[in-house]
Amino acid sequence: MLVSFDEASALIRAGKTLHIAADDSLLSRLPTGKWIGGTTPYFIAESGGVLSKEKLYVNELSFAEDAAVAVYGKYNIFQIVEECFENGLTMLILPYGSKVAEKYAREAPYVEELLLHPTVGWVSGHDLNTDENAKVYDGTTGKSYSDKAVAMYLKLPEGKNAMISIVNIFEDDKADPVITFDENALEVTRCRVNGRETDLAAYIRENHIDTQMPLVADCNGVYINVSVKSVGDKSVGLYAPVFKGIEYRFATRVSNYVEELNGRIAAAGAEKPVFSCNCILNYLYGDLEGKKTPLYTGPVTFGEVAYQLLNQTLTYCEIV
Amino acid sequence: MAPNIQAKFQLILQKKLKYTSANLGFNMLINKLQRKVASDPESMDACLKEVDDFAAKFPAVVNADFAKIAAL
Repeated sequence: MLVSFDEASALIRAGKTLHIAADDSLLSRLPTGKWIGGTTPYFIAESGGVLSKEKLYVNELSFAEDAAVAVYGKYNIFQIVEECFENGLTMLILPYGSKVAEKYAREAPYVEELLLHPTVGWVSGHDLNTDENAKVYDGTTGKSYSDKAVAMYLKLPEGKNAMISIVNIFEDDKADPVITFDENALEVTRCRVNGRETDLAAYIRENHIDTQMPLVADCNGVYINVSVKSVGDKSVGLYAPVFKGIEYRFATRVSNYVEELNGRIAAAGAEKPVFSCNCILNYLYGDLEGKKTPLYTGPVTFGEVAYQLLNQTLTYCEIV
Repeated sequence: MAPNIQAKFQLILQKKLKYTSANLGFNMLINKLQRKVASDPESMDACLKEVDDFAAKFPAVVNADFAKIAAL
């Protein structure tokens, strides 16, 4: 829920376990307590998409029996699979543009046992009209970081599990060319199109590919997106890495973002997500300002975490 | 894992039977294990053990999947 600074402060002082997303000017003034936070001024509120530097988005994590907060850098980020509760949920916030976010993006899919430890979260960001640093906050100390990740470990009651899901409006056409990569990369020059070595930037230009549509990989019927950040003369920048050995295609064009998103949300059928976030690219390309996506309210993010880093995806978690 | 479900899971991991879960983590696991089995068919038993470990850890999530897989 979107709340005022005074309301957020009161929840902290009442000892609630909280996840908070807000502009840095608000997070930096909050009292210490049992919370973690990340910077963004963009939200999907109950009333629709909104940019606000006066309100904070707060999730009360009352389902948790216990909670602990930890801060990690790029050298120890994957300790999260060792330090979490045995039956729990890890909420993770990574600052955009940081080494720790890049490390997580590149290596999470290869971390043994990550899938045995439900991990959901987001990449913090900033007002796109500014060049501020994205930050995360450890609310227990009040300290902020632009080069470290913050995790909150939540212990679940016996018999309960965390279920992480995504709503993705993109899919591929199996008749389209298969694109593969010879190495894992966030910046790509060469790729293979149907096995033939090709310059990706030239391929995008020559085929007039709309790069608002991400590369998608079919992960057992669920599509994982890799969004295009920039197309240069020789190289293509990506918001998440492509991985060697995975088959990608450019997603088929979506004509009506909001209609498609709401259709997929209705089909997803979640009843009570305890956390949800949506990508800034969906917010921008889908023109979500003022538009509602009922139930799925939360921060608008510079990347989503559902075990691994995702792009252009609505991510949510339920306790079942 | 019951023998009938294990038999079907072998087919899923060999991509001879298609099953998509409502749970992202389970789909990611299936996808990872399908690639493992494709590159090393002898890893099937170890992969089935990973499925068992996942199911034991998340019964509230996976029991519904097992019921659907049994009915395939």
